[in-house]
Amino acid sequence: MAILIDKNTSVLVQGITGRSGGLQTRTLIEYGTRVVAGVTPGKGGMVVHNVPVFNFVDEACLNYKVNAVISFVPPMVAKDAAFEVIDNGIPLLVLTMEGVPQKDVVEILSYASGHNTRVIGPGAAGIIAPGKCKLGAHPARMFKEGHVGVVSKSGALSYEMGKRLTEAGIGQSTVVALGGGPIWGTNQKEIVELFQKDPETSVILLLGEIGGATEIKAAEYIADHVTKPVVSLIVGRHAPSGKSLGHAGAIIVGNKGTAASKMEVLVEAGVHVAQNPREVIETISELLR
Amino acid sequence: MKLYEFQGKELFAQFGIPIPKGSIVRTIDEIRALNTPLVLKSQVLSGGRGKAGGVVLCNDSASLIKEAKRILGSTLKGEKVNALLAEEKLDIIQEYYLSIAIDGEETRKPLIMASIAGGMEIEKVAEEEPHLVLKQPFNPLVGICDYHIRKISNFLDLNSEFKSLQKILRAMDAIRFECDATLVEINPLAKTPAGLVALDSKITLDNDAKSRQGELFEKLLQQQKMINISNNDDMEMDMGSITYVPLDGDIGLISDGAGTGMLAIDLIHDHGGRAADFCEMGGLTSPEVMYKAMEIVFTQAKDELKSLLIVLIGGFNRMDEMAEGIIRYSKDHSSSVPLFIRLCGTMEEKGNQMLKEAGFPVFDDLDEAIKKAVNSARGAR
Repeated sequence: MAILIDKNTSVLVQGITGRSGGLQTRTLIEYGTRVVAGVTPGKGGMVVHNVPVFNFVDEACLNYKVNAVISFVPPMVAKDAAFEVIDNGIPLLVLTMEGVPQKDVVEILSYASGHNTRVIGPGAAGIIAPGKCKLGAHPARMFKEGHVGVVSKSGALSYEMGKRLTEAGIGQSTVVALGGGPIWGTNQKEIVELFQKDPETSVILLLGEIGGATEIKAAEYIADHVTKPVVSLIVGRHAPSGKSLGHAGAIIVGNKGTAASKMEVLVEAGVHVAQNPREVIETISELLR
Repeated sequence: MKLYEFQGKELFAQFGIPIPKGSIVRTIDEIRALNTPLVLKSQVLSGGRGKAGGVVLCNDSASLIKEAKRILGSTLKGEKVNALLAEEKLDIIQEYYLSIAIDGEETRKPLIMASIAGGMEIEKVAEEEPHLVLKQPFNPLVGICDYHIRKISNFLDLNSEFKSLQKILRAMDAIRFECDATLVEINPLAKTPAGLVALDSKITLDNDAKSRQGELFEKLLQQQKMINISNNDDMEMDMGSITYVPLDGDIGLISDGAGTGMLAIDLIHDHGGRAADFCEMGGLTSPEVMYKAMEIVFTQAKDELKSLLIVLIGGFNRMDEMAEGIIRYSKDHSSSVPLFIRLCGTMEEKGNQMLKEAGFPVFDDLDEAIKKAVNSARGAR
C-alpha cells in the first residue's frame, strides 16, 4: 500500500506527444508505471514509447481501464482537458502545467469536487510511490521504497529531501508534490490525512514554505487527529517580505505567512520542526530507530 | 496586473456599476477648468491613499489649485503621482465593503466578501472583528445565486437596495469572468440619496490569462503609458517564467525550483553568507531561460557578485539543457566570478559531463556547494 497510487495504477497521459509529455512518459515507463494510453487531440493512431495515442479520453477508456491521469497539456487548454478526464469518472488527475488562469483552476476544481475526481496541482510535480509507481517528475534515483510519507508544495524540495533520505538509507512510502499555488487542488492537510490512514507510512514529513496558511491548517489537523510522528521543514526563514518567491503562493504579507509563524504553530501541534535538511534526516533516523 | 482606480472605474461603468462623475487630470491647467466642490484622488496603486494625504476634498477653486499643486508630482507611498482623478462630491449615508476574490486555500472557489465596515482595510476588519465580515463562496460553474445576494443584503441591512446590489454583484462577477480578474473590490461602496455608488475600485487581472486577454491588457498598458505611470508588473512580465527578487548579499543565486531556492537562501544564511538575489526559473525551462537567468543575475546585482551559486535538481527540467545554457552564457561573457553548480536529476549524466568538459566544478550535494560558494565569497572580500 501507498497513498493515491500503487502497482495497479493504470495511467493515461494527456499531452503525450508533446516534448515534455513524451520525455516524462518515457521516465514513467522506465520506472515501471503502467502507462496504458495517451491522448492528444488530432494525433489518434500514433504510438509513443509503445503507448497507443487516442484523440479522446473516452476512446482510450473504451479500450483500457484507466484510474489515473497525468496531464502535460498547455495551460490555456488545461481546463478543457481536465473536464474531459472528470467526465470520464477517472478518480485521480495530476496537473503538471504552470500558468493556468485562476478562473479556469476554480472551475476545474468545482467540477472535479462534484464528480469525485481528486486533482493534484496545477503546477504540481506529482506523486511517486517508490518501487511501485511514478506519476510525476520525480528523478527515480532519489527515491527508495520505505515508510516515510512526504508531502511538499515544491517539487524540487521534495526531490531534494527524497535524495537526502535515500542517501541516508531511509525509504519513502509515497512522496507527493502539490504545486506552488495560489490554488491547490489538494492541500497538505488532505495528504497528511491519507498518510495517517496508510499502514505503510510510519513517519510523515511535511515540507512547507512561506506564504498562505495551508501549513497552519495541516498543523491544526495534526494536533487533533494524527497519532504518527510528523517532522517538518519550512523553507524561507530568510525570505524578504512582500515578494512572491517563485511560487505565486509563496509571499509574506506584512507579518503573515512567515516561516517563523508556521514553525511556531507546528511545534505547538506536536510536530518535530527541523531548522535544516540535516536535522530532518537526524530526527527521522531517530524516530525510525 | 493591478489596475489604477480610474481604469477599474472605467470597467465598472462599462459593466453597469454606478460610479461618481469624474475625469482624469494631469496638469494644473486641466484642473483650473473644473468646478468645485470635488474630490481629488491620487492615481497610485498603494492602498491607504487617504491617510497619506493623497485624497482630498476641495470646496473652492483656491484650495483645488493649492492641493493639486501639492499632490501632482509628489511621491505617495513610494509611487510618483502623475495623474489625479477629479470626482464630484457625493452625500454619503453609509459606506460598505464589497469584493469578489479567489479563495485558493480553503474553498477553492470565488469568494464574495461583504462588510458594513466600508473604507477600512478588510483584512484587518476580518481579523479583529470577524462578525462584521460576511464571506460567501459560490460555485463558479453556477455563478452567484439570488439567495447569496439576499444573504448579503440582509447582512448589510440593504434590503431596500436589493435590486441595485444584485446588479452590482452580478456585474462584479461578470468582470471576474470576462476579464479574468482575480480581485474585484469596491471599498467603499456608498449608499447615497441617489442609490449605491462605487467610490473606489481595486481590480487585479490574472497575468496568466494575458494571452487570451491580449486586447484588454494592451489597452490598459497603453493607458498607463499615456499618463506616464509605470506599472511595476511590467518588468516581471518581460522575464517570462523567471522570478527575480534582489536581496542584500553578494552571493548570486539561481534555482530551478522555488522550494530549493528558498532553502538555498536559508542555508547560505546559516553558513554565514548572504544571497544577492532570489532567481527562480520555473519548473519547465530551457537553455535560453538558463542563459537569461544568468544575464539577469549578473546585470541586476546592486554590487559586484563574489560568487554565483546555481542550484539545479531536475524533474521536468533537463540537466543537459541547463548545462548548455550555463556553458553558452559563460562563453559569451568573460567573468571572474566563480560558479558553484549543484546539478542532479533528469538527464544528470549528460549535464554533468558537459559541465566537467567545459571546466566547471559540479556538486551533487547542496550543502557542499553552498559551503564552497560562501567560503569563496568570504575569501574574495
